Amino acid sequence: MTQFRAILGKDLRLEIRSGESTIALIALSLLILVVIVFALSQAGARGTEAGAGALWIAMLFSGMLGAVRALSSERDNGTIYALLVSPVDRTTIYFAKLTAAVVFMAIAEVAAVVLMVLFFNLNFDFGLLRMLPILALGVIGFGALATVLSAVSGHTRMGDLILPVLAVPLYVPALIAGVKASAAMLSGAPFTSAAIWIKILIAFDLLFVGAGYLLFEFVIAEN
Amino acid sequence: MTTLALQAHAVSHSFGSVPVLRGLNCDLAPGCAAAIIGSNGSGKSTLVRIFAGLLKPTAGSMVLFGDSRIDRRRLGLLTHQTFLYRNLTARENLEFYAALYGMRNPPQIAAEWIERIGLEALAAYRVRTISRGNEQRLAIARALIANPDLLIMDEPFTALDVAGAELVKGLIAESMERGCAVVLTAHSGATLTAIACERYELSRGRLAADKGT
Repeated sequence: MTQFRAILGKDLRLEIRSGESTIALIALSLLILVVIVFALSQAGARGTEAGAGALWIAMLFSGMLGAVRALSSERDNGTIYALLVSPVDRTTIYFAKLTAAVVFMAIAEVAAVVLMVLFFNLNFDFGLLRMLPILALGVIGFGALATVLSAVSGHTRMGDLILPVLAVPLYVPALIAGVKASAAMLSGAPFTSAAIWIKILIAFDLLFVGAGYLLFEFVIAEN
Repeated sequence: MTTLALQAHAVSHSFGSVPVLRGLNCDLAPGCAAAIIGSNGSGKSTLVRIFAGLLKPTAGSMVLFGDSRIDRRRLGLLTHQTFLYRNLTARENLEFYAALYGMRNPPQIAAEWIERIGLEALAAYRVRTISRGNEQRLAIARALIANPDLLIMDEPFTALDVAGAELVKGLIAESMERGCAVVLTAHSGATLTAIACERYELSRGRLAADKGT
């Protein structure tokens, strides 16, 4: 636990000092939302469904950036080797990096929710609060997937290119579930109406976190 | 009988079809230092990564302290990269590594090491603002912070001035006195001769005991 706290504390401290990841994530979310708003306004589609879809797409791409940064900053400095030769368990590194990625994504997600409400003419009401647990599930699941895949892609020459190719198809079922559940919450439908989508999200979270726990040790090593 | 700190037997490594190391043998006893001298591209850094367990040899075996599994708590590593976080201060870096090695009271340990390497005045400065030589001192403190039993140092005297080099020699000698085995690499042997018990020449991936010492 001390080592987990040390790695997470170090990552958060570095992020507070540089703001690199969070600012980039918020900027990317803003860009994606603006593009989608303009695209959908041409098609005449607005409202909860479109807003939820735009929000999850923004989360998907900004999340990818957040997870990559959590590990690539270690690779850029070579400090990943210091972590690997230290007596820290690989799974501790994984959960510290996952937690850091989730924190960065959550900050970006709060900004994205505010932008979504403004851009899609939604209200700051109870529906947003009801959507938060669903977004949290999305952030955890995608953070887990992207963290383990960024460890894989870090070994390849075209790592930044390979990550979305690997991550997006794997996440599509959870993405659909997340959009459906979020739209239901925003439109004021009862929780039960979105139960199946929430269950799918939970199942994918367990799958991705579990896979990361089991695989990280093997994918982070150089050989 | 004392267990050897490091035993490398017929270690070879290739990157794809390019052989980098060919059938190296090397034994190192606790409290002893081995100097590995080799020119650029001779395979020193690859050998260091294999000794540290960061790379698996494509052939041969590596045993540390009588065990083929590496006990990373007993290992200290210094490479060309300093492994320091440039946006953390000197003190924060050492505190982080002390915590990573599960040591008690990291702030106190960091303060002690800052004093030992003579960086008290720079302790609160971010690493990116300090000179390369002082960064190297800090990197050496980082490698030694958990009192390793095997210390692997790839060109430890890089960027150090005379005082810095003397300080590092002293720290290495001190580690050897408490039984730490040390592997040192360099381009030339002048600086290492005084420290090392054994000298090896690494050339075209082959390691030969240097008869000159």
